[in-house]
Amino acid sequence: MKAAPFAYVRPGSVTEVLSELSRDGAKVIAGGQSLVPVLAMRLAQPTTLVDINAVEELHTLRTELSGVRLGAAVRQRTAQRDPAIAEVPLLGMALPWIGHREIRSRGTICGSLAHADPAAELPAVAICLEATLTIASPKGERTVDAVDFFTAAMTTTVQPEELITSVYFPRATETQGFGFAEIARRHGDFALAGVAIRVDAKDRMRPSARITCFGISDIPRVRDVSEQLSDALSKDGPDAPEARLRTALAAAAEELAADVVDTGGDDHGSQAYRRQLITALASRELARAYAKAVRASSHTDEEKA
Amino acid sequence: MSTPRTVSHTGHDDLVAVEFTVNGTTVSLKVPARMTLSDALRDNLGLTGTHIGCEHGVCGMCTILIDGDASRACLLFACQLDGAQITTVEGLGKPDDLHPLQESFGRHHGLQCGFCTPGFLMSSYDLLDHEPDIRREDLPEELSGVICRCTGYRNIIDAVDDVATNHRDGLPGPKNCGQRTLTGRSPVGSTAAADESTAASDTVQDSAPEKISMPSGEPTIAIDVTTLLESPPQDVARVFANIQLLARCLPGAELTEELGGNWYRGRARVALGPIKLSFNGFAHLLEHKSDRMHVLGQAKDTGGGRAQAEIHLLAVPEGTGTRLQAEARVYLVGRIAGFGRSLAGDVSRRMFEDFAKAVDQAARGEEPEVGSKPPSAFGILVGAMRDRIRSVRDLRRKAPGRQANNPHEER
Ligand SMILES: Cc1cc2nc3c(=O)[nH]c(=O)nc-3n(C[C@H](O)[C@H](O)[C@H](O)COP(=O)(O)OP(=O)(O)OC[C@H]3O[C@@H](n4cnc5c(N)ncnc54)[C@H](O)[C@@H]3O)c2cc1C
Ligand code: FES
Ligand code: FES
Repeated sequence: MKAAPFAYVRPGSVTEVLSELSRDGAKVIAGGQSLVPVLAMRLAQPTTLVDINAVEELHTLRTELSGVRLGAAVRQRTAQRDPAIAEVPLLGMALPWIGHREIRSRGTICGSLAHADPAAELPAVAICLEATLTIASPKGERTVDAVDFFTAAMTTTVQPEELITSVYFPRATETQGFGFAEIARRHGDFALAGVAIRVDAKDRMRPSARITCFGISDIPRVRDVSEQLSDALSKDGPDAPEARLRTALAAAAEELAADVVDTGGDDHGSQAYRRQLITALASRELARAYAKAVRASSHTDEEKA
Repeated sequence: MSTPRTVSHTGHDDLVAVEFTVNGTTVSLKVPARMTLSDALRDNLGLTGTHIGCEHGVCGMCTILIDGDASRACLLFACQLDGAQITTVEGLGKPDDLHPLQESFGRHHGLQCGFCTPGFLMSSYDLLDHEPDIRREDLPEELSGVICRCTGYRNIIDAVDDVATNHRDGLPGPKNCGQRTLTGRSPVGSTAAADESTAASDTVQDSAPEKISMPSGEPTIAIDVTTLLESPPQDVARVFANIQLLARCLPGAELTEELGGNWYRGRARVALGPIKLSFNGFAHLLEHKSDRMHVLGQAKDTGGGRAQAEIHLLAVPEGTGTRLQAEARVYLVGRIAGFGRSLAGDVSRRMFEDFAKAVDQAARGEEPEVGSKPPSAFGILVGAMRDRIRSVRDLRRKAPGRQANNPHEER
């Protein structure tokens, strides 16, 4: 299986990338880990591939005032190794789940977002953390919230003549805790179902909680579950053992699963099975993320005292 | 991480230039943009250790290292690798000095058909290199990026675990990296014998290189031979002075063009039974005196093989005649290298004897007999065989125990 012939260009600046993208049938290639298989199977036959890897500025990964910005050419494995990843713990938790090391060596963070596979980890993380994407076009630059970015399976608001230049993840605060889990047929496969969770326990009895589910619909589905978490806490208080909290959350998680799982299912898992997975993962990870948030915030309380 | 150079818009029929390092050798290629790295390694560079299974990133057969990180060679277009450091399984160890991982795979029977082995070696190299503290129970998951169709996983895990346990303080680096000649395999679909394709390939002549640089490392053939010539040194000096004449003394060789500045273009043919080789290439005389010469040569075989040689010739008076001494380091790549070091060495030595005889003739004012016809396949083979039989016989004599075990030998 070989790709059909295509023209190739590797410009040195974003401006040049954009002018190349204005050609009919041109396509960006970043890490190629999703695009090359598609080309090899001839599911796509772009006329020109615009390789963005010679644009120096797209390789930058840097900590800014309130978060971390990752350029479009930053590879998943590079991000995993960068100390800045500690500022965005949920991203660090999700990255190892993407394929295998061999895939992450080349695949980029932004490429995964652009590809928008419904079962991919990073779109869910981006939505959960309220990341923003910067998109350049010949008309100028625009910024899009991750939650508005994904429109359908493998479809985003990026237009053919546009380029994602970076993605920005807000830094975790001292009262936040995170959860991530997925179930795949074997390690490295795309998830049958998965969850990404952010809990803020600044107010321990009334924490804020956000959960994003993936692999269960054409795009990741995000829900605010602050109410449900507070209800569960009302029985045992903030020091409830994780297992008890989990049980207390079970009904809420089941309701959530019924709401977000709208895939018809496939050979590897029916709709009902995926609902069970989401129920189990959501209640467990939510309880864990809350416990972590409480630990983190009491740690900072001690420091302040 | 290496950032590649820019490339301006290249049409879909055009080739893209790319330069990278493979196992320590700098490589410049011109490739179609859609050619995968796995194909370029195998077809253009002859590095067939990188296997190809699925060609869409799932099976892991094509795993190699790029700037130290394991990657799928089938999910990369070769042209993207500009400036990269690539390590393939060929770079990992030498036949007589295996990498601990290779040695361990063998010892633990982690090899069955061996098809997945290069992928597993490169994937586990990356793993142990970056995570020396990896625990055994994590190995199955961490190595799940490569699929073994023979299901040899249990032994593969044993092999990797063994190396991990013994190298917690750091995995030894690749052992077989250095400057080397890399040549592709025969063009796909061409079944023409080398002789038939000679004419065609003669018309597509490469231009002379700026410099012939010899690979480091051990040569395929190292020759150090001495022959006594009847002719006196002053007559031999006349032959040395006349490059055209000297070339006519080389069996199968032909000087086709003088390029100036001590550069020459030429071709050489060797026929050995079914093997027919035809080299086209260049020679550069670094030193040219009446009694000594230092020559560098580089040639391509029409079948995709490549040879590089460094030759020192020395003519010193000995009695009334001349002692002709030759030292050569020959590097062979491609199918010529495949026919065995010792046989290739035998052939080269035989060719040198023929050469010495011809120099003697030329020194006497006769036209050298070898001319430009290929050295006799039969003569060389028989000669080489005779030498080998002789050395086997010598060995047997030195090992009486073997004879006792084999009564048939007596008859
Ligand atoms: C065997 C295997 C297993 C995998 N498993 C997983 C997995 O478990 N989870 C997962 O999430 N992914 C998985 N992947 C996909 C992989 O993670 C890719 O890295 C990722 O989806 C795409 O990133 P990339 O940089 O390789 O993008 P590319 O393949 O280069 O591009 C993908 C698409 O995005 C577009 N694009 C890329 N960058 C930009 C940009 N800056 N602006 C605009 N458009 C852009 C391209 O035009 C193309 O359409 C797997 C891949 C393989 C081969
Ligand atoms: S051939 Fe590259 S992963 Fe299968
Ligand atoms: S040994 Fe045969 S595929 Fe693994």
